Amino acid sequence: MIVRLATEAMGTRFELVLDGKDEFFLRAVGEEAIQEIQEHHRRLSVFERGSLLSQVNAKAPHRPVPVDDDLFDLLKLCQSLWKETRGAFDPAVGHLMKAWGFRDKPVVTSQRAGWKCGFGSVILDETGRTVQYDHPDTALDFGGVAKGWALDQASRLMRESGVERALIHGGTSSAVAIGAPPGCEGWRVEIPSHRSGVAAIHCDLCDQALAVSSPSGRIATVDGESVGHVIDPRQGRPVHGMLVAAVVAGSATAADAWSTARIVLCESDATMPVDIACASIACADEGWMFSPGAEDVFAIRCD
Amino acid sequence: MTDNDRRTFLGQGAGLMAGLALMPTNVFAYDFSSAAVRVAIIGAGRQGRTILGELQKMDGVSVVGICDEDERRLSSGVRRARDTKGFGSVDELLKAGQEFDAVCIATPTHTHRVVAEACIAAGKHVFCEAPLAHKVEDAAAIVRAARGAKVIVQVGLMARSNPVYQLARSFYRSDAVRDLVSVYGQNHEKTSWRVPAGDPAREKALNWKLNPEVSLGLAGELGTHQFDSVAYFTGRYPTSVRGVGSIRLHNDGREMADTVACHLVYKNKVVMSYDATLANSYGGAFETLFGTNAAIKIAETHAWMFKEADAPTQGWEVYANRQQFHNDEGITLISGATKLAEQGKLQEGIGLPHPGTYYALGDFLKSVTDDADVVCSAEEGYRSTIVGIAAAQAVRTGEEVAITEDMLRVS
Repeated sequence: MIVRLATEAMGTRFELVLDGKDEFFLRAVGEEAIQEIQEHHRRLSVFERGSLLSQVNAKAPHRPVPVDDDLFDLLKLCQSLWKETRGAFDPAVGHLMKAWGFRDKPVVTSQRAGWKCGFGSVILDETGRTVQYDHPDTALDFGGVAKGWALDQASRLMRESGVERALIHGGTSSAVAIGAPPGCEGWRVEIPSHRSGVAAIHCDLCDQALAVSSPSGRIATVDGESVGHVIDPRQGRPVHGMLVAAVVAGSATAADAWSTARIVLCESDATMPVDIACASIACADEGWMFSPGAEDVFAIRCD
Repeated sequence: MTDNDRRTFLGQGAGLMAGLALMPTNVFAYDFSSAAVRVAIIGAGRQGRTILGELQKMDGVSVVGICDEDERRLSSGVRRARDTKGFGSVDELLKAGQEFDAVCIATPTHTHRVVAEACIAAGKHVFCEAPLAHKVEDAAAIVRAARGAKVIVQVGLMARSNPVYQLARSFYRSDAVRDLVSVYGQNHEKTSWRVPAGDPAREKALNWKLNPEVSLGLAGELGTHQFDSVAYFTGRYPTSVRGVGSIRLHNDGREMADTVACHLVYKNKVVMSYDATLANSYGGAFETLFGTNAAIKIAETHAWMFKEADAPTQGWEVYANRQQFHNDEGITLISGATKLAEQGKLQEGIGLPHPGTYYALGDFLKSVTDDADVVCSAEEGYRSTIVGIAAAQAVRTGEEVAITEDMLRVS
């Protein structure tokens, strides 16, 4: 018995597919998972003036802001991902996202050039569990990992409730698989190449997470030029050069962060941790490029 | 307010511009830094966690305790708080020696009485979710406990604290709507109301909303809030209610209707049509008051006024923000519109930054810390609960239920 549920959150559509014997139980668990996703939307959205994150962004440039365990855990996770990716993934890009027009109208070029940001200016106090920014232009924006974080929490709740087989995704760019459909190795997910003449790849997810990033996922026009929504936090500019990156990892939050980082990192910097499988296409490449071991995870579709 | 009262009000000079200029001081943020108020939350389900989230936005408020019988809900609630202790029962919370000033009760409706009485007896200020109770005698018992106590008791009927409702009400009372023709309210969502119970022994307790013995169903659990909005605007309560309910989608063995419709008749023959469903989410939750000059639609964080073509114009309308609804154009009701317009920030004022719960909790804590008037007393909560109980009875029995003035009073 398959039960499908969906909800709108974080500016996209989340879909849940649950497999099991008891339809009413599956629906009830799916609805709890949707509530969990909605709660994270209300807490982490930069678009909602009343969200917890908006409150933190308003106060943290002035004083340490006490936060709850849930948010502090996310901040700590972001800090380690920021370090692991050598700053290629950076959630402290709130002002940059605004400056380039992904949260509002773009600011003028001269102002944009002056923006400073970076997770290096985010101070996390483990003892007091507070967050403070030491630069007035710093603002957190969890756009890169919020979907993954919400999916991780929702899938944890589903597992704890007894769901053994499910696939949940947010906007088709972040997904978590619980178990596998009966008789299958995993939930098969296909990833298009974004380039004509290059075949799609697929992977079979089983108790894993997948994230797909592409600069063309969202476009803004700045000074007459079209720019993609993935920003290189080190340069303060939207990235050019990568078409798509797909990452399979143990958690959707890590997959989200690493797929963004892979878009940002140039090839020479793109070493992945051993537990991360990545397939990507650069504008200059003719086809898919796999991180070591990723050929075991991804397969090129043969038509 | 009678028609004459409204016109007198208008004559006193509080016209539409006054309404437009209304600037509730509490629109943007509550700050209790100087008071440092400590709160415990009883019930860590969906509403309990919503309350927790809203309290955390207020400076100076510490949630020092969370209480729930369900271990998973309790740990989930504690993780979303700071320096908070978890308690498995109200008794445990009240006897633990944990110091706190106020409690927010977000337990199942049929348990409100026991919890509220215990908290009031322990000298804690009480914010109790609505409806107050599933039985008249339980709701009356809470009112009596509140009357004799030296603590604040506020009922969570959110419209009364909501700045958008306050603004819309000022328009209603300023004669912009003129004579009330009818009222429509709806609460549409697509959800089963079923909660997954890992432990079969907890199934009945967790799914109390589906149990007709203790739940008021859609008409009572949701309708009470919207019936209260009408009372808040008009000062009137219905004299009778008819209802019908059926199962349209969730045919999972439940007895409780997943779709209901009610007609509430008021003294002056004005009728409120109300429907609620768990089978379709179109339109969500809102209330519309139709008058001879205009209709006002209010949907928690937003409100609009739709003027009749022959209604007198006030001049300010040309500057107002508007939104298209099919063939109609609604004037967006914005708190502090005049000031925002002066600053060129009218767009920023559209909609509230926080949900209604935030403002209700803020008002409650203002009463606790500053002796501010209680915005929704136990008596006011009681009256709308009685309407909710009557509506639930009408849906359950299919018979008309009379609501007398005596029923709305606690002796």
